[in-house]
Amino acid sequence: MVGLKRNVVVFGVMVMVLAGLLAMAVYRRSLPIRGEVVAKGKPAPEFTLTDLAGKPLALSSLRGKAVVLNFWATWCPPCKQEVPWFVEMQNRYGAQGLQVVGINMDDAGDLKDVARFGAENGVNYPLLIGQERVAQQYGGVDSLPTTFYLDRSGVVVAHFIGQPNGPSEVEKNVRLALGLP
Amino acid sequence: MKLISRITLALVSLLTAFAVAQGSSPNITVAPVPTVVVTRGGHAQLTLELRVNRGFHVNSNHPYDELLMPTTLRLNAPDGIMIANLKYPEGQDLVLPFMNNQKLNVYSGAFVVTADVRPARTVAFGTERVHGAVKFQACDDRQCFPPRTVPFEFDVKVIRPVVHKAPAKNADSPHIHP
Repeated sequence: MVGLKRNVVVFGVMVMVLAGLLAMAVYRRSLPIRGEVVAKGKPAPEFTLTDLAGKPLALSSLRGKAVVLNFWATWCPPCKQEVPWFVEMQNRYGAQGLQVVGINMDDAGDLKDVARFGAENGVNYPLLIGQERVAQQYGGVDSLPTTFYLDRSGVVVAHFIGQPNGPSEVEKNVRLALGLP
Repeated sequence: MKLISRITLALVSLLTAFAVAQGSSPNITVAPVPTVVVTRGGHAQLTLELRVNRGFHVNSNHPYDELLMPTTLRLNAPDGIMIANLKYPEGQDLVLPFMNNQKLNVYSGAFVVTADVRPARTVAFGTERVHGAVKFQACDDRQCFPPRTVPFEFDVKVIRPVVHKAPAKNADSPHIHP
């Protein structure tokens, strides 16, 4: 009888622990996870940021174009690895209405490095100076690279956290944003 | 009942592993530093044991790419105590699948940084607290995380130099000859 009671207590404790872990797992699944589309179907939050020359750019000014919003930094090797892929996408799909936009998350004091990196790598799209406020609008951007693909009406069609498997994965999302098969 | 308990236990273990895997974020921990005991005017070695948590790496103190942030330690020594000659270990070369054979130089797992602790000849005897911080920027194989600074502290105890007294001269000693 005592053994049965002990088993019931042990079972009860295990069920409570299990429930707690399940709740934690469900909560974590609701957070952005690398490579997962989390904001699909929602309009991208509006922002205005300045480029390295101080010229402002409002996201709304790009309405009618498919937009790639790439949060990156010069201290992030996977970010730098995918920059040539975005340059290639801008070259290949720019005429069809693609606009890549880089949002740089380096410290303000490192903007010379950002400009130099852009020049050395032939960056053919605007590099904007990121702000924490904008990162928060986009879910916090806890890690880099983080990339949002917007269709021509400004709706997020894909959201990718981390380094994609290669340029083909970037191109797949670019074509999705452009409405191409 | 035993069967139910075993199944529940197995599920708990699985979910724990899942939750741990999902919840990990990059960090460096600094092992507690024993009090550094050093004589006034002398010197002692400080040994700091650091660990990058599993699944992440940080740049070494000398990353190959100048744009990458080196891992650095800052030590705010109190007046009269000099902490110098900070020695970082060599990093390990790492080539990630997406890097086109570009090497990174990183620390992962445990690594040790040493320094010399040198109290001035005029410093008061006693224990002083040293505040330090390690600044790092971590990545895993696909993504990078913003730079972080983790504080730590340890004590330095300055003691009197041990004076080895020479044996008193004895005029009657047979070894002393006038």
